[in-house]
Amino acid sequence: MVRSLRHVAQTTALVASAALILAACGSSSSSTSSSTSKSTPLQTLTIGSSNVFPPTLNPTANASQAIDEVIDYNVLQHLVQLAPNGSIVPVLASSYTVSDANKVYTFTIRKGVTFSNGNPLTPADVVFSMKRVYAPGSTYPYGKIFDVSSVQQVGSDQVRVTLTTPSWNWLYDLAAYSNGVILDPSTVSTLATDPVGTGPFKVTGEVSNYSVSLARNNRYWGYKPHVSGVVFRYFSNADSLNAALQSGEVNMIDNLSAPSDATLFKSNPKYKVISSLTNGKVQMTLNNSYTPLSNKLVRQAILFATDRKAIMNAASGGYGLIDGTDTVPADPYYINLASEYPYNVTKAKKLMAEAGYSKGFSLQLVLPPYFYAKLAAPLLVSELGAIGIKVSVSTIDFPLWISQVFEGGDFQATIIDQAEGRDVSNYGTTGYYWHYAKTPEVASELTAANAAPTKAQWIAGYQKVLKQITADAVNDWLYIAPFITVIDKNIVGIPTSAYTESYNLSYVGIGGSIPASAKQLGYLS
Amino acid sequence: MLIADLPKANDIASRRRAHVHELRRFLVRRLATLVITLFLASVLVFWILNILPGKPAQVILGTQATPSAVAALTAKLGLNRPLVDQYLHWIHGLLTLHLGDSYISSQPIAPVIGAALEVTGPLVLGGLLVGLLIAIPLGIASAIHHTKRSGVVLSGLAQVGIAVPNFVLGILLIIVFAVDLKVLPASGFTTWSTSVTGALESLVLPAISLGLVEGAILARYIRTSVVEVLGADFLRTARAKGLRPNQALVRHGLRNASIPVLTVLGLELSGLIIGAVVIEAVFTLPGLGSLLLSSVANRDLITVQDIVMLVATTVLVVNLIVDLLYRIIDPRMGLRS
Repeated sequence: MVRSLRHVAQTTALVASAALILAACGSSSSSTSSSTSKSTPLQTLTIGSSNVFPPTLNPTANASQAIDEVIDYNVLQHLVQLAPNGSIVPVLASSYTVSDANKVYTFTIRKGVTFSNGNPLTPADVVFSMKRVYAPGSTYPYGKIFDVSSVQQVGSDQVRVTLTTPSWNWLYDLAAYSNGVILDPSTVSTLATDPVGTGPFKVTGEVSNYSVSLARNNRYWGYKPHVSGVVFRYFSNADSLNAALQSGEVNMIDNLSAPSDATLFKSNPKYKVISSLTNGKVQMTLNNSYTPLSNKLVRQAILFATDRKAIMNAASGGYGLIDGTDTVPADPYYINLASEYPYNVTKAKKLMAEAGYSKGFSLQLVLPPYFYAKLAAPLLVSELGAIGIKVSVSTIDFPLWISQVFEGGDFQATIIDQAEGRDVSNYGTTGYYWHYAKTPEVASELTAANAAPTKAQWIAGYQKVLKQITADAVNDWLYIAPFITVIDKNIVGIPTSAYTESYNLSYVGIGGSIPASAKQLGYLS
Repeated sequence: MLIADLPKANDIASRRRAHVHELRRFLVRRLATLVITLFLASVLVFWILNILPGKPAQVILGTQATPSAVAALTAKLGLNRPLVDQYLHWIHGLLTLHLGDSYISSQPIAPVIGAALEVTGPLVLGGLLVGLLIAIPLGIASAIHHTKRSGVVLSGLAQVGIAVPNFVLGILLIIVFAVDLKVLPASGFTTWSTSVTGALESLVLPAISLGLVEGAILARYIRTSVVEVLGADFLRTARAKGLRPNQALVRHGLRNASIPVLTVLGLELSGLIIGAVVIEAVFTLPGLGSLLLSSVANRDLITVQDIVMLVATTVLVVNLIVDLLYRIIDPRMGLRS
């Protein structure tokens, strides 16, 4: 027995050592990594992503931004799309007209476009895709912002969409959100694993919780990206992702989850660090129906007591922008209201006394499990502590946050990145989780603005709303979340802003250059 | 000895029958315990996951979905049915080896778990192997020299190994072997079908990170066990009949010393599986741990339930095998306890 055990042990040890040595010797031929050498014209670009692994590849069935990052614009395209510079550009529509005071949109469908499976794009496909958004039983995640009453084909190459109410935002929503994806009706059953689209790339495979691979779509009707394919590789650990870029396993990091890590790469000539802004408003959301916070003076005191610059330095390494309200520079109605609430503890204390809370009160701050929230919270605890508000902090996971805070409204204060673009309409949504007392007034202001005959009047209407919610100190808007990309220095064509859910790789290349028109739209040259 | 004193043939046969009977009863008892434990585990897992706040349909569709879309998805996933119905449906699936479809991707779960096991299985086995390769020589050497300074040094080494968390070790190994020396990949996994050496390469550093700590823990048990055996009477007897100390230890000592170690090894397996969850995150391996974490975050409850039951079954079965094994190694244990 002992002899045979010993024999087994010896053999196992031999096999193990052989395997380990073999593995160690063949080290440099890792097939998932791609080198940064410049010899071959078309290489695979490997993107190290700090995002979560896409739970499915079907953007019409799940709200995860990770799906849109890979699939939206790159595989599935829209009639119109957002360029990095914020403009709306026709894509599968060759042109469009807007009539009846922003209520009727007529799109001329681009000719000569085929899906990656060879099927031609027809107006019927467009009608099918758009009707699918609001059909009974639809599970589109952005259904709330698709206010359409009818979609019909007009003539041989046009599609007409009629809205229920006029909107200056609808075209933007169609471009920005995955409601706008145009599908091949014969392939909807395989959307979860193999979405077939008209975009510059097609899906070639995925390894669950690890990577999604795209190959260049040779049937693509537009400019062909200067890579043979793109692999998105997912890292849940920031240190591992940084090490993967340093060891050459990935060519770039899409967005540093800890922005302060940029210092690791900034001084190294091998890399370029590109910082840009997102639609994300990082804010301390205040429950306006919770008794001390229902008092406007208390909320204003909190805003005066907040040192936003210190918070932005701590939570995002100083990257981002402070504008003190619910808008980002890409919005047509952008306005910077940072000067409304400068850091002023004396004034904050005075307001607290005026509100009858000179002795302060206790406040529970509940956090989603995100970096920025955890880093911002300690500063808020001490800053609010300075005016007598005793803040206790707890962290919960995101599904619980959605259920308890967002759906249930059961919270006092929270820190969250409100990530959707042009979402000021939330302040006019009845029952929205911060329970703003003047929601009905804001709703009618927004409806009036949307029906405005000119763009200037629409913008003025929205800016009025922004000024009102800021004066009412509905929430404590901390800073606009940054998007910090680190690339090997020879990479071109990546978007220089992050105002879309998608990460548009239409012009990406390893080496070479991009067309001047793409540079104008905001792609890196 | 008189012939009459020798056991009769039918005596031997009846003793063998009794032994077989006892073995069968032992197995039936153990299997019954296993089934009951698994049943209780399934109820507990299902109940805990389903009372977790954060309804799957709302998590899937996010904050901009219409309430009718959320209701439609809830109905599509069958989550509007009574909990008992949902439980019975799930258990029936497990018993007929249908693990169900993911709430999130609507794809069958079995192939996804299968692919994850292709990473986690070899990782845990590799970790175990590394652990044993370290623990056996280290444990025996520090036991043999336990009175000398070298033995103390070896014990100290094992203590250091226990104190270092495996993820710290993982990051250190990445820095040295991947970033600085560039001899092994920093992270990631090459699938077995793409390249077997590539897959092995991807697992070298993770297996070492996982195995080193387990090895240090096991080494301490082996040391204690061997020290105990070294002082035993039977070993002195073995020496007295002319065996050299090492011969006596190998032929008679190790078998006895291995009994408590084997028990610990069974328990350590669950430690390795938990360690794998952390190590997979550090090395971004697409294994069972990563799948479990992402499924919890996405509220893909059915995938979580399946994985937890799979791990629970593995741990229980391994412990049953260990139980049987040490009764085979040491017949004195009997089959009654």
